[in-house]
Parts: sequence; C-alpha cells; structure tokens
Amino acid sequence: MRTGFGAQLAALAGILMLWEVGVRAFGLGSHVMPTASAVFRDLWANPELMARGIVRTMTETLLGFAIGAAIGFGFGSAFAVSRAFERLLFPLFVLSQAIPVIAFGALVVMWLGNGIWSKVAIATYLTAFPVTVNTCRGMQSVDPQRLALLRSFGAGGWTIFWRLRVPFALPSIAAALKLGISLGLIGAIVGEWFGDTVGLGILLLQAMYNENLPRLWALILVCGAIGIFIYALFEAIERRWIFWKQEI
Amino acid sequence: MPRMLRKNHVAGSALLAAAALAAAFGAVPSAVAQENVSVRLKWLAQTQFAGVYVARAKGYYKNDGLNVTINPGGPNLNAESLVASGSDTFAVGGGIESSLSSADKKLPIVTLAMFHQRTPFVLVAMEDGPVKTLQDFKGKKITAFFTGTQHTVSAMMAKAGLKPSDYSLTAQAVSMTPFLNREVDVAMTTLYNELVVVRNRGAKVRVFAPDDVGISVPRDTLITHQKMVAEKPKVVQGFINATLRGWKYAIQHPVEATEIVMAAAPGLDKAHQLQMISEVSKLMLADGGTKQGLGYMDLEKYKLAQSILIDAKVISGPVNFDTTFLPRFWNAVPTADKKM
Repeated sequence: MRTGFGAQLAALAGILMLWEVGVRAFGLGSHVMPTASAVFRDLWANPELMARGIVRTMTETLLGFAIGAAIGFGFGSAFAVSRAFERLLFPLFVLSQAIPVIAFGALVVMWLGNGIWSKVAIATYLTAFPVTVNTCRGMQSVDPQRLALLRSFGAGGWTIFWRLRVPFALPSIAAALKLGISLGLIGAIVGEWFGDTVGLGILLLQAMYNENLPRLWALILVCGAIGIFIYALFEAIERRWIFWKQEI
Repeated sequence: MPRMLRKNHVAGSALLAAAALAAAFGAVPSAVAQENVSVRLKWLAQTQFAGVYVARAKGYYKNDGLNVTINPGGPNLNAESLVASGSDTFAVGGGIESSLSSADKKLPIVTLAMFHQRTPFVLVAMEDGPVKTLQDFKGKKITAFFTGTQHTVSAMMAKAGLKPSDYSLTAQAVSMTPFLNREVDVAMTTLYNELVVVRNRGAKVRVFAPDDVGISVPRDTLITHQKMVAEKPKVVQGFINATLRGWKYAIQHPVEATEIVMAAAPGLDKAHQLQMISEVSKLMLADGGTKQGLGYMDLEKYKLAQSILIDAKVISGPVNFDTTFLPRFWNAVPTADKKM
C-alpha cells in the first residue's frame, strides 16, 4: 500500500508545477487565477489564523459527525428491524435531504444560537442520512439462512442484532461513515456562514467578498487536505477493524 | 505580537477568574446588575460595524449596564427576522427598504436610528468607456445586487428618461471581475467595499450615485423589537447611547477602531478595513449625520424611498411611519454622544 505514496507525491508536485507555469504562461491576472506560489505564500504567512480556523471547523465536523453517525445508526437499525417504523419515518429522511441546507440557516440560529451548536447541527444533518440508509440496507441484507440458523439455536432479538445484523452491516456502515465525515465537513463550513468570526467557512466568506483570491485558493487547498486526511483516517480504521467484506 | 496577545488573554482569564471568585465571596460589590442583550450584524464582522465593536471594547455598553453579545451575520441570515423572532435584541439591519418591507409584512420591529445618511451603493462605469452620463446607459449592460438595489437602479433610469426596455439589468455576482474585464458596462459597488476593491485593482471609474439624482436609500439601520421599546426603554436608550458613542470614537480613531474589529475577526485585511472605515465614516457624517448628529433619521427623505418601493411593488402601500420609525430614543441621546 505504501509503494504508491512516492508516486502520489510526485503527481501532486507535478500538478503544482503545471499550475504555476500555466498561470504565468497564459498571463492570467491574479484576480482570475493566482499562481500556486502566491497561494502558498498566503498559507505560510498566516499559520496562526489557519490553525485556529482548522481547529474550530474540525471540532464542529467531528461533533456533528459523531452525533449524526449515532442518529443514523439508531434509526437505520430501527428501520431494519421494524418495517412499519421504516414506512412511517423513512420518507421523512428522504424528504429532509431534498431541502437545501441553507434553508435552515435562520432556523438553526433561532433554535441553537450563534455558537458552535448551530454548526454542529448542520454537520449532523448532513451526516445522518447516508449512515441511516446504509445501516438499514446492510442489516436488511442479512443472509436469511444464518438468521434461521441462529433462531433455531434459540437466539433472541438482541443476540441476533449484535451477533449477526451489526457485524453483517458494518462494512456498508463503514462506507457510509466515510461519506458522512466528508459531508460533515461541508456541513460545518456552511454552518459557519450563518454568522461567526472563526472557522474556515468564515475565512472563505471573507476571502470571497473581499476578492482575496490567493486566500480563497489557500482555503480550498486546506479544506481539500482536511477532506483527504479524514477520509484516509476512516479508511485505515476500516481496514484495521472491519476486515471482513459483506458476503451476499 | 500574537503570542503576547495570547499571554494577555491568559492573564485576562486569570484576572476574570479571580474577580469571579472575589465576587462570589462578596469582596467586590457588583455596582449594577448587567442586562444581557445581543446585537445581530447584517453582515460579517468588519469595520462597517466598528462603532458596535468599539462600544463593547471601550466598556461603553458596560457603563450603561449592558452585557452585549455581538452576533455577526452572513449571506443566509436576515437581521430583521432574527430580531422579530426574539433571537436577537438589537440589529444593524439592512436599510430603509428593509424597515419599510418589514413594516409592510407587519414584523414587530422598530427602527431607532440610521447609520448611513446616503445611499451606500453606487453605479460605476469605466472612465475611458462609452458611459459618461446616465443617458448613456441606453443599450448598455448593467448589473446590480438583486437584493432590492435593482429597484433603485430602475428609479435612477426613470429619472434619466430611460425605460426598462432601453437597457439590460441583470443580477451581479460576488466578483467584480466581469466588470473589470469589461464584460458588463455598468456595475454596482458599495462605497466601502467593492469600490475599494475596484480602485485597488487600478481601475479608473466614473461614479453615478443615486443621491446625485435625488434618490436616497439610506442604509444600516438600528432596529429592535416593539416589546423592548414597551418593556425595557432604559435598555434601548442605553444601547443607542453607547453605540453612537462607540461610532463617534471609531470615526475619530479609525486605526484603533480597525484594530478592535480585527481582534474579533483576525482574517480581515487591515489596509482594506481602514479604507472601509474611512468610507463608512463619510456616509455617516453626510447630510444630517453632521448637522443633526450620527444616526439621525431624516424621515422626509424616506418618503421618496417608499414611493420607489411602492412603484416596484416591493411593498403593498404606504406604511405607518409613526410605528416604523421611533426617533424619540435618538432624540434623547446626549448631544456629546452623537455630535462630532
């Protein structure tokens, strides 16, 4: 797995070179596309600002993700176990995803105030759905023969749930978690647009409206790097602890 | 410097903790019970709101018995609805058009003061381009913020004798680049932000201000809930006094005021913020801002703005000015706080 790392770095360096040379060669103004070096200069010049933004946004992301994943697991399991419950509530989950998240901006601020929890709520909202769906589908696709076997041994509902359904669904839950954490990051950034002074989302807004393009690109890179980092982290966790694959 | 700041912060926290302890043991008698209030800004923290930040940093609010939380706004937040819902006590609201349409929608808010005495947005065209007068807008591409300002543009065009079919008016994106690349002939800028951006990029522009043709859309209101006025008039008075005192200090000490704002929102560009506070100061000191005092509400001026909004069908008809605008708190502000 490690063999490709050097090649990946080389590819990244190549892209940065191409960016730098391309912008200079085509003579694009800094307000159309800044050079890679200008972007990195901005990044190096403001380490404290960036660090503060990253810490704040990551805190919101992780909190929102944790709550969203718990909600998703809870409802997904309930939907898998009870068809009636699924029919009753699952359409609401689908409906909620059709609403653009900015529609909730004012509501979230009215209900949860201007602090960190309004951002956490948006991250939670975006995380919960994929986890719910994958938990439910993963548990529903349990091999009926195994179910029958466990039942014939006299296993109760809880035993079946923890010994069969959960392990069976874990690979698909893990896939949803990887998606969920990335969505959680987006949720935290958008959540900050509902009023704050710290965080990557706020820095993005400031850069956008003051047309500070090197800063804007620096932030895009930082958000991208965080996205890759958290995705890789979850992939590593998955590889280490959820080594079996779903067998259907 | 940043490290020193942080040390001060730690020392400050320690002091605060000590003070809290002392207070808990009754060693320090608390002078006045502090009233907790919040103020919502219509946009991100920036020197456009310097007065509020200065009033807090200088302890003006505290002196008036107020413990003020400043809540910055953003692109998806409406200050008027947050005050109407009771989420925020006060707000620096949109402007005359927001106050009138809130009244039209029967939102329970009142306007106490007006910060910008003139229209803060203007139209710009390239100095070396074909647009030299308002009449030259004929057949040209115009962009404006479609947050209500497009009605002001239509009204300006009507004054110049142009019909809506004579020009193309479309929504303007965040960036000024289309204008700088001459893809559009006329664009809208606020005097304190986009115009600064455009000039900093070296563009020479001709400015067409609504006020030059007798159309005035003053903006940045101080608003609160009707209930506050009825139930806590002392809090309202204290807030407006301290806010205007904060503004007076900010206008007199723009560099210090900018530093105060930047302590709260460190991502800002200082040079840009200094230009912003200088432009905002001009808007605040224009017309009644100097003659009567900062935050003055020129109700006669607003009648014309209202008729433009009625023509554009933004509001259904004339609103009751007596309940929409409440100048009595502003009138009671000590002259020393509002007159430069």
